[in-house]
Amino acid sequence: MNLFRLLLLLFAVPGALLAQTPATTKSKPSPLEWNTSDHSPRSRALELAGGFSGDGYKVRDGFWSGSLEKGTPVLIEVNLFAGNDYWFSAANLDPSTRLKVSIFDVHGNPVGSQAFDEASRAAAGISVWQSGRYFIRVAMTEGDKADTCMVYSYK
Amino acid sequence: MRHRVFLTVLALLLAGQGDSRSESLAAKDVESAVFMETIAMPTPGEFFIALGKQCQPNWAKLLKSSTPPTTTDRERMALQLGVFVADGFIAIEAQDGQGVKNTGRDILAITKKLNVSQHIIARSQSISDFAEESDWNTLREELDATQNDVRLALLEQNDNALVVLTMTGSWMRQMDVAAQLLAEDYKPGPSALLVQPAIATHLINRIDALPDKTRNLPLVVGLRDGLDSARTHMLKGSAYNLSAAAVKELSATMSSLIAGTAEPSEKK
Repeated sequence: MNLFRLLLLLFAVPGALLAQTPATTKSKPSPLEWNTSDHSPRSRALELAGGFSGDGYKVRDGFWSGSLEKGTPVLIEVNLFAGNDYWFSAANLDPSTRLKVSIFDVHGNPVGSQAFDEASRAAAGISVWQSGRYFIRVAMTEGDKADTCMVYSYK
Repeated sequence: MRHRVFLTVLALLLAGQGDSRSESLAAKDVESAVFMETIAMPTPGEFFIALGKQCQPNWAKLLKSSTPPTTTDRERMALQLGVFVADGFIAIEAQDGQGVKNTGRDILAITKKLNVSQHIIARSQSISDFAEESDWNTLREELDATQNDVRLALLEQNDNALVVLTMTGSWMRQMDVAAQLLAEDYKPGPSALLVQPAIATHLINRIDALPDKTRNLPLVVGLRDGLDSARTHMLKGSAYNLSAAAVKELSATMSSLIAGTAEPSEKK
């Protein structure tokens, strides 16, 4: 790891961790939050994404969900715009699993400067410099198989 | 000692972080990627935020006055619905609470005609309340969710063609606004926002897959031709920008498409 990356981590990581603090409770819940009343992979993914809302991120209503197996990651196409910041958050209900979310550009090169993973939930973030098609890979790195959901937020 | 503390803190920080870097994807992986419209299609919310950062538009000027739908043509109504949703996001960017409420009212009126209003009545009230409170961030999520609810309701009543047209209307209005801004004040960097040939192709493919009865309607034939022209203009530049001339051509195409959605229904 070069010095630049080390310095970047030292400054960026605490910010990213702080950004995961849940937002202050609103007086009137958004209907998007009504979905969190059930205990589902989507509600957990929304919970994780909601952690970024304190930093001004808006959660998009669309999501991917499906059965995810170790060794068979899913690759999801998205269109991202220069100037925007994004977080892609994935989760499932099996605490024995571990997830990893990665971002790739249109050429298949890994991009994204921030990542988070904790047991059965994970997220990856990117500040986009070039508008266009990107790919989000959600992989199970530990565990067997579990219903998983990915949501995304932007600002 | 200080050195050890530093290393310990660093190790803890790194332990909480997965490495975002991975090996590159193989071409076959990219080909197998899932394209889900609810995720891959740009929403007006995120598109306009990017446009705002790059072009600092006068959103209030871009906001159209409320025009309650008069047509009884379901396909045209679906296109207009998509345009209205995008207009709602313009009102949010303009921080115009009354404009948001007006657009919300138009959306409700058109969904009534399409028989799906029961699915969004609660959201419509929330939109009005959040607009009253100037809660712009929540409004963005609410309007996005409204669009998705309408989509699900249309799918539930087997109106698949209307789903395609609503989605197309929303995307057309996004492109129309951005192209109009950049045609008036061309900037090479932000013009990359208009380079979306893959989305245009996806919409054209969706229209091509519609039942003959819908696909052969003059409205839909004109729409497909317009999308094809838009794609041609988008392919004139690189992935990084469009020329000023291509932006002007794209702007003219998108304006014409938007004007086409508002024309009165042809007599059958």
